[in-house]
Amino acid sequence: MKQHLRCTDCEQATNVMDLPIPAGMKQEWAAVETRRRFLGRSGKVLGWAALASLLGDRALSSDAHAVNTKTGTATQARDGLTLPHFAPKAKRAIYLFMSGGPPQIDLLDYKPNLAALYDKDIPASVRGNQQLTGMTAGQARFPIAPSHWSFKRYGQTGTWVSDLLPFTARMVDDLTIVKSVNTDAINHEPAIMLMNTGNMNAGKPCMGSWLSYGLGSMNDNLPTFIVLQTKVNAKENNQPVSSRLWSSGFLSSQYAGVGLRSGGDPVLFLSDPNGVDREVRRKMLDAVEEINRQTLAEVGDPETNARISQYEMAYRMQASVPELVDLSKEPQSTWDLYGPDAKEPGTFAYNCLLARRMAERGVRFTQVYKRGWDVHDNVTGMLPILCKETDRGCYALITDLKRRGLLDDTLVIWAGEFGRTVYSQGGLTPENYGRDHHPRCFTTWMTGGGVRPGITYGETDEFSYNVVKDPVHVRDFNATILRCLGIDHNKLTYNFQGLDQKLTGPVPASVVQGLLA
Amino acid sequence: MTWVAALLVSVALALLPRIFRLDGKPHADWEQFLGRFHPLAVHLPIGLIVLVPLLEIAGAFRPALREAAGLVLGLSFAACLGTLTLGYLLAYGSGDVGSTVTRHMWGGIALAIGVLLCLLARPSWISGALSRIYPSMLICVLLTLVWTAHQGGSLTHGSNYLTEYMPAPMKNILVFGIVRASTPNSGSFYAAHINPIFDANCVTCHGAGKTEGGLRLDSYELLMKGGHDGPVILSGRPEKSMLLERVTLPADNKHFMPAGRQPLSQQEVTWIRAWIQQGASRIVTNLAGISIPVQAKELPLQPVGDYSELMAEIRTMQKGQGAKLVPVSSKPSDGLILNTVDVASSFGDAQLAAFQKFAPYIVEAELGRTGVTDASFQTLSTFTHLRALHLEGTAMTGNGLVRLTQLSQLTYLNLSGTKVTQTTLAPLAAMKNLRHVYTFNTPAQQTPAANETQSVARSAQ
Repeated sequence: MKQHLRCTDCEQATNVMDLPIPAGMKQEWAAVETRRRFLGRSGKVLGWAALASLLGDRALSSDAHAVNTKTGTATQARDGLTLPHFAPKAKRAIYLFMSGGPPQIDLLDYKPNLAALYDKDIPASVRGNQQLTGMTAGQARFPIAPSHWSFKRYGQTGTWVSDLLPFTARMVDDLTIVKSVNTDAINHEPAIMLMNTGNMNAGKPCMGSWLSYGLGSMNDNLPTFIVLQTKVNAKENNQPVSSRLWSSGFLSSQYAGVGLRSGGDPVLFLSDPNGVDREVRRKMLDAVEEINRQTLAEVGDPETNARISQYEMAYRMQASVPELVDLSKEPQSTWDLYGPDAKEPGTFAYNCLLARRMAERGVRFTQVYKRGWDVHDNVTGMLPILCKETDRGCYALITDLKRRGLLDDTLVIWAGEFGRTVYSQGGLTPENYGRDHHPRCFTTWMTGGGVRPGITYGETDEFSYNVVKDPVHVRDFNATILRCLGIDHNKLTYNFQGLDQKLTGPVPASVVQGLLA
Repeated sequence: MTWVAALLVSVALALLPRIFRLDGKPHADWEQFLGRFHPLAVHLPIGLIVLVPLLEIAGAFRPALREAAGLVLGLSFAACLGTLTLGYLLAYGSGDVGSTVTRHMWGGIALAIGVLLCLLARPSWISGALSRIYPSMLICVLLTLVWTAHQGGSLTHGSNYLTEYMPAPMKNILVFGIVRASTPNSGSFYAAHINPIFDANCVTCHGAGKTEGGLRLDSYELLMKGGHDGPVILSGRPEKSMLLERVTLPADNKHFMPAGRQPLSQQEVTWIRAWIQQGASRIVTNLAGISIPVQAKELPLQPVGDYSELMAEIRTMQKGQGAKLVPVSSKPSDGLILNTVDVASSFGDAQLAAFQKFAPYIVEAELGRTGVTDASFQTLSTFTHLRALHLEGTAMTGNGLVRLTQLSQLTYLNLSGTKVTQTTLAPLAAMKNLRHVYTFNTPAQQTPAANETQSVARSAQ
């Protein structure tokens, strides 16, 4: 019997564990309950999550609960998964995320006929009944803004590429360009969540977490999923990028992405303080683990397990991360290829180089975020800066992977969260214009293991406004990425809140066969 | 008397194709209209005929059922005649011809006659006078039924409908040889790109099995010959070529091809147009303006043997070594990957040799940045199923690479950052499956890389 604080009545306290509900739901309740308590208790809890990764021991083991030799921790949640579902073409992926929404019309979706339509209103029939953002919905006119830059054909495939991307132009024959990607969201946060997690609302695991969970680690000394942020350029219109985008959602936090800082120490507090040597550190960790094991026995919170393994990972990262970011042994050919920017930590080129080094070292999924593509105004001022920052890095990464023999089994993806409008936001002058968010079509590219090189997939109409052929929804796009990594997107699921959750969501998605090699 | 009547009916049936010849020309619309009920009606006699032997057998225990068998047999014959008529109307009305159509037609006729004969033979079987004739005839009818139904199915769904997803061993046993018209000059644009489009989309109705409109697209000669309405390809004039016109109509147009199926893709149409425009040649290999990325054909994965008995040993080995054997996929026969990245610095020739025992199951060896030396080529030559070999960043000089020539499955070899030279690499030329060899940052690397980096620097300015 339990008495309420402000009530004189007594009533039977309801214990969830006694309710006539399925055991699975009780378990879930227990997990959520303890996680809540845990989070509530430890305010700045994300500090350790930054070191999170898993000991996803994919090594052969038929034991129901594989036991990691070093820590003795059970790799609980992954057991029973038999992945990859089929022999994968790509073992790892690098996702170059262009946050903010790159304007497809100025980069790869060439629309030569627009020049004649300068400052004409976009036909209402093209726009249909689409709801626009609050930023342009009030505009009296929707004047067509043709791209300020000219396009040329490149490569064997004769693909049109904007003059803004001279380096990308050189590798078009290797790229799988998709012009018909479309999304459901028109604002940054939901759109970027949808791209990364398959759902507009936060709380679902992101692609990297699903891959960590599904495929496990290839290197015990480095995280399976690493996020690199590019240093902010104050001249650009930067939309925030947050750790929600590399969160593991309802999956164990050991599958969350590990963010490396763009300046200073890549991982904070990773080096041992003065006076603490490796041996002392080891003893301390052993003691902490002992205490954690007691907690685990008492509370039974699976997150304690995650924590134990994260301490271990951090310990091993003390050795592996300095080696990873030590670029002193890179040959001159690297700097010739990536350019001088790559020497400065935090630049996009530097992150591309790190991404290559991670691919070499068996990091399963690397995501490089580049912010600033949100060109609502001053397109002609900002876009050259953005392209100059990223174009060479992309080319260098692909070329480097290719010459080192890594592109055969690495999938590289370049994408933003949506596209931009053909009509100008704000004033349109012959010199300048702005472009608003556009979810109905945007252009992305992929290359490497699993995708067909040298093709352009999908078509948009004359205004790059609607998809007219082979639409690829974000869910289909993600399903295709999983396919390249040997995963059937319908089979990689996790039961949570009564639903077999998956990256592609409950709405049906399909692999785009036309993109596959 | 009944025997005479039956004989007359049989002769009439057998002469049907003589009287109304399937001349490949469409006839009255009403014939087609009724004929199109054939695929629906055909299931009725099938069901009835199959029911007959079941009732006969069950009749041994319940006499009433045997009585019913007689009625069902009679109904079967009536249904056969009706369906046969509809089928004939369909073929005659739409002008379908072709070897499968002919086989299906004769099958139908034979079936009707067979059922009729069963009907006649049954009374003497019931009375016990002739105990063998009726059952054996019934069996013949059933076999004819299966065969005829298969021909019909091939007409509707295409001749490889049944066999397309048949497991390979079964296919081999049954030897379903699908005879195709020969397409010589397999390197030509026609053979490599145009013919496959027709193969996938058109020959179900315009092939040897079924030849609608008298048009066959399964060989170059027949394609150029055209159909009843004349040639369908006018070389050099795509806009006048009927074939292109029909496949580019809106899908709801009456004349749209392939009728009732997915339209050809934009790319396929572009290829056909360019091919016609540039002479519709059977031998030309390249077309101006069309570039198709060369797709090296991947070797099919060679399954590895069953290693389940070695699991305990594999686990012990992993624990001792730190190097892992990771399954390629959930399918054990896809093999294992030897992963050494966690212990690269302490992994050398001796450690590799210890994995030799599992060699036949290892399809990929990741030995990058390990301590293996040229001495390991001997060991690696026993990894018979190896498809990919990573040796990047090792101290190998390539002496002994010749031993790898025994690895017939090897398609990928990464020697970046090693000390291999053009001379030590020479033996690899003999390996025809080896398509991806990487020698970046080695003495063997040719100088163009230097040129490339220079040009990168130039254009960056």
